[in-house]
Amino acid sequence: MSYESPIRDLLVTGGKTYSDITKDITRPIENKPSKAWWLGFGLSSIVLAIWIFSTTYTMLVGLGAWGLNKTVGWAFDITNFVFWVGIGHAGTLISAVLLLFRQKWRMSINRSAEAMTIFAVLCAASFILSHMGRPWVAYWPIPLPNAFGSLWVNFNSPLVWDVFAISTYFSVSLVFWYVGLIPDIATVRDRATSKARKFWYGFFAMGWNGSTKVWHRYEVISLILAAISTPLVLSVHSIVSMDFATSLVPGWHTTIFPPYFVAGAIFSGFGMVLTLLVVAREVLNYKDYITSEHLDAMCRVVMLTGTLVGLAYITEFFVAAYSGVEYEQYAFLNRAFGPYGWSYWIMMGCNLVAPQVFWSKWARTTPWFIFIMSIIVNIGMWFERFVIIVTSLHRDFLPSSWSMYTPTIVEFSILLGSFGLFFFLFFLFMKFLPSINMSELKSIVKTKHALELEKQYTELLNNNHKMPHHAHETKGDSVHGH
Amino acid sequence: MDTNKVILGIYNDPDHIYDTTKKLIHDGYRVRDVYSPFAIHGMDRVLGIKRSRLTVAAFCFAMTGIVLALTLQTYASYFDWQMNVGGKPSLHIPTYIPITFELAILCTAFGMVGCFFAVNKMVWGKNADIIDIRVTDDLFVVAIDIIPNKTDIAELSSILKNNGAIEIREREFED
Repeated sequence: MSYESPIRDLLVTGGKTYSDITKDITRPIENKPSKAWWLGFGLSSIVLAIWIFSTTYTMLVGLGAWGLNKTVGWAFDITNFVFWVGIGHAGTLISAVLLLFRQKWRMSINRSAEAMTIFAVLCAASFILSHMGRPWVAYWPIPLPNAFGSLWVNFNSPLVWDVFAISTYFSVSLVFWYVGLIPDIATVRDRATSKARKFWYGFFAMGWNGSTKVWHRYEVISLILAAISTPLVLSVHSIVSMDFATSLVPGWHTTIFPPYFVAGAIFSGFGMVLTLLVVAREVLNYKDYITSEHLDAMCRVVMLTGTLVGLAYITEFFVAAYSGVEYEQYAFLNRAFGPYGWSYWIMMGCNLVAPQVFWSKWARTTPWFIFIMSIIVNIGMWFERFVIIVTSLHRDFLPSSWSMYTPTIVEFSILLGSFGLFFFLFFLFMKFLPSINMSELKSIVKTKHALELEKQYTELLNNNHKMPHHAHETKGDSVHGH
Repeated sequence: MDTNKVILGIYNDPDHIYDTTKKLIHDGYRVRDVYSPFAIHGMDRVLGIKRSRLTVAAFCFAMTGIVLALTLQTYASYFDWQMNVGGKPSLHIPTYIPITFELAILCTAFGMVGCFFAVNKMVWGKNADIIDIRVTDDLFVVAIDIIPNKTDIAELSSILKNNGAIEIREREFED
């Protein structure tokens, strides 16, 4: 089927046919992994081992292994939690919001972005577990009656909302991802030569046969899943922000938090998508699928959302000044010029200033430069959470409680290790599942028939003829059309 | 179905199979189904497939989620055991909204996808009756019922062929 957009270049280049797409995208699954894959996988396994070691150490020793104190009771753990949840948001944004907006460029990247969401939320959840200090009672926030040793949970508390939000987000993302994978798993099943592959992909393909009836229902549920995931993704980070905003701590108690957090989440998530895809398109040779057009579009989103969070930082300052509340004013002055001022300026530099380079077309289309920028964005967004959490807490209402926070080596190891967990899962995903949505991509590749019509059409135009009726008949763009 | 034999027209271009199917249905042939590696837009309308009622199911599941969540929260925090946390009211609907919203979405997603699997008879480990193994790769297949003593196979084959079929064959269909 053909798809024509006047403002974009082709989304799949290199004159790919349907079977080219199948071959290219199943190649990593059907062949032995490359050296680059083994290197990446090996490295992330080592880092994962650090995560396992440091998390186990924390659970054995208790939270005394961390640098927390009475004044700064939340620090690295919650910073990392919010950071990873935020990373996840780009996946849902790409697959759900861009689907509703009919943005075809999402088709090459939605699969890996959704995988990223799931792995990032797993990383985030791991921080909640270790942050509890007593992970064996992790079921306490679940509303269970009195017999389990506690009263009902407090439904007025945003921490309880968070439990529901994160678990719903994780499971709905998983369902969305899996439903999208089924046709592609069936493709791998039908090409399988080994018994094991035939069995496992056959098992998870659930008997998919490509019938029009099934495709029809598939389109209906994809659209509804997108429609419910869109408010879901907005709600999740809004609720995460309410963990802070409903408290009375100066610097946290602001109504701007939900939209500000959501913008930041999308910003950091796109940063991570870019980090992953710039590398993946090189290593897997997917440059015809993830074109510079895709990178360009993502960089624009990064620039927009980066500027939005920058605006939020400035608005916070203005509101603090305008409110006339001296606690609030002090909190913000302390953020920028206090003992942790350096982290504030890292945040400002990475999140507001740095993305402005994306006004230039060169910056938006040069992979190595985008890669560096994406790392900068992620550093900036990690520091944003650190700034919000630590600088607000370390100056208590009582000056006698003022204190400083210094992370221990265990906390650093858990942070580093969580990247190991994330990349370990991501490398497995790249090896065992089609990392680009084949069935959707095939729907936007131009068919011979459409190309012929287009040729005739251009010829007619060149001959200065009147526009022929139905000269360029397109039957639309298949998946999720109307 | 009073027949279990079908004739398959295999195509490599979605536009060709779209036009052929349209013509076949117009000519009065009974098209059983069309199989494709991706959703061919408009094919469902050509085949006369009614709009799926999964949307209705989704709505019902959402309502179930809302009712469940509100019941749980009001029962737990007001009727069963009231807690005084900072003097905040025990029955306070606005603070129930986030969880109600999340549960509505959770129920919708799982309920609707469950129904999707059920109506398609999809289960883990099911052995697929694949009409042609290449249909998940790059080919498009139209399956037309052969009605004994009625369907003119020669004529049907020529229609398929003239409209760009790259392969035509017969196949038994197990229902």
